[in-house]
Amino acid sequence: MTERALVDVTVSERDRARNWSRVALYAALIALVVVYSVPTFGVLLSSVQQDREISRHGLWRIPETVTLENYERALGGTNVPNYLLNSVIVTVSATAVSIAFGVLTGYVFSRLAFRGSEILYLIVVAGLFFPPQIVIIPLQQLFSRTIINDTILVLIVVHVAFGLPITTMLLRNFFSTIPGALREAAIIDGANEGQILLRVMVPLMLPALAVLATLQFTWIWNDFLWPFILIKNDNARTIMAGIVLLKGPYDKAWGLQGALSVIASLPTLLIFLFFQRYFIRGLTFGAVKG
Amino acid sequence: MNFSLKTSQRLWTFAFLVVPLSVYFVVVIGPLLATAWLSLTTYTFSAFASPEYAGLVNYERLLGDDYFHISLKNTLIWMVAALILPTGGGLILALLLHGQVRGANVFKSLFYLPITISMIVIAQTWQWMYQPDWGLLNTLIKLIGVEKWKVFWLSTRGLALGAIIFAWSWQQVGLSMVIFLAGLTSLPQEMLESAQIDGAGYLQSLRRIVIPLLLPSSVVVVALAVINSLRSFDLVWVLNEGGSGSSTLAVQMYRETFKSLRAGYGSAVSMVLFAIAAVIIVFYFRRVRRLEHLYD
Repeated sequence: MTERALVDVTVSERDRARNWSRVALYAALIALVVVYSVPTFGVLLSSVQQDREISRHGLWRIPETVTLENYERALGGTNVPNYLLNSVIVTVSATAVSIAFGVLTGYVFSRLAFRGSEILYLIVVAGLFFPPQIVIIPLQQLFSRTIINDTILVLIVVHVAFGLPITTMLLRNFFSTIPGALREAAIIDGANEGQILLRVMVPLMLPALAVLATLQFTWIWNDFLWPFILIKNDNARTIMAGIVLLKGPYDKAWGLQGALSVIASLPTLLIFLFFQRYFIRGLTFGAVKG
Repeated sequence: MNFSLKTSQRLWTFAFLVVPLSVYFVVVIGPLLATAWLSLTTYTFSAFASPEYAGLVNYERLLGDDYFHISLKNTLIWMVAALILPTGGGLILALLLHGQVRGANVFKSLFYLPITISMIVIAQTWQWMYQPDWGLLNTLIKLIGVEKWKVFWLSTRGLALGAIIFAWSWQQVGLSMVIFLAGLTSLPQEMLESAQIDGAGYLQSLRRIVIPLLLPSSVVVVALAVINSLRSFDLVWVLNEGGSGSSTLAVQMYRETFKSLRAGYGSAVSMVLFAIAAVIIVFYFRRVRRLEHLYD
């Protein structure tokens, strides 16, 4: 036995130990994921079962019959298609406008700083931390005096305003990473700030815009508070407020409730599936540096 | 030339800012100040009486209001729970999934998927867990043969708040995990490896090296968790409307204002909420600024 062989033995033993710890890690992770996913599974299960089956046998078992009639009822017998349409209009337009605004403010705060701009920037970014509840009463009073009261326009305006902190912050930091020489070269070529922003900067920041679009779309689509408080007209209601409202008359319609939840979640799930990378980048933005 | 360049820049700056900032000040900052003013009145939405200054009467009433005490206490409990459950859970998940775990991306996706889902749907999801007759929890309790299996999770004092916070943490844990993972990825790998070669045990290298280096991520995670906990309205409202001792400040604000129509009193509750948020804002900005200097 040489020294060499001894080393080999210890190495393979260490490998074996490492393999075992790896197996244990996987087992733990799989167990965790399974337990973690159980609640989600329940909603899917309820959406394909009949209410009487649930009330007779309970929800948590393998269903004898699988049915899509809950989905048919959700989309056929209620105002849900209209809620969905409102949600799409509000979400898409508020996402687009809040990002466009963020491009403008972010650019100014990053490249066109002036006296007092730092304070202004902090006031805007502080909005990230405001619980929206604190402005509800005056806002409701304010809108009730305008012509747009109780329409989806109210929701668009609110979401644009509350989107400004995150879009401004992300885009300011993004503009700061673009070399200043690019802008100076454009100025020497005679471009004004509007042209610089549109022709030089915007093409460079498509990834940053995609990050913001996924984040904003998700927050706005999922919002419940604003339509719940500001919208009384059923024709202007969005999907999240709509499904909460439907819980009243359809108290025992568990299958319908499950189907509504699935339908309401599909758009953000699709966004997440296709743009996961951007979504995560948005969430982790600032995790490493301010 | 130089002069006109400056002027033109000023004009562009104004043009860029005027619309976005007007919207922001009209919709966010103005109403915030208005709420502060309303909290000093006894306004009731009456069309016949405009808000009149009443001094600190609402705040004095808050001191003696049992319902407010419960809401405040619950909000603070929620904040502390936010520091433990989603933050701690997210850290553990991030540590497990960081490094060369094959299929880590699938695991990660499954854990952060709930972040993309509305609180309204999360509430629905957990109703199927807590439902008294056939919810999963009671089904399991019945299965193991407990005689009094019917626990009313969402309508029992002492259980309701915990049940709601647990559901909330279930959603938030993915968010903390993602941020910690980003923090871990940005750590210098040589540092971790050299610690392990030196024979520092896993827990020791965790405590001495990894956790301190994760401080910037932790600040973000903590600030987010606490702020999100202050906002908690949707979930409580859908699960039990703040009954059974589970009310929070956000819920009480809604009840006072839109159920009892006491807008002045509701505004005072809002201002308490704002005061707590303001502490977080100051803490966060000071912390982040300090950290930024560290990295410069």
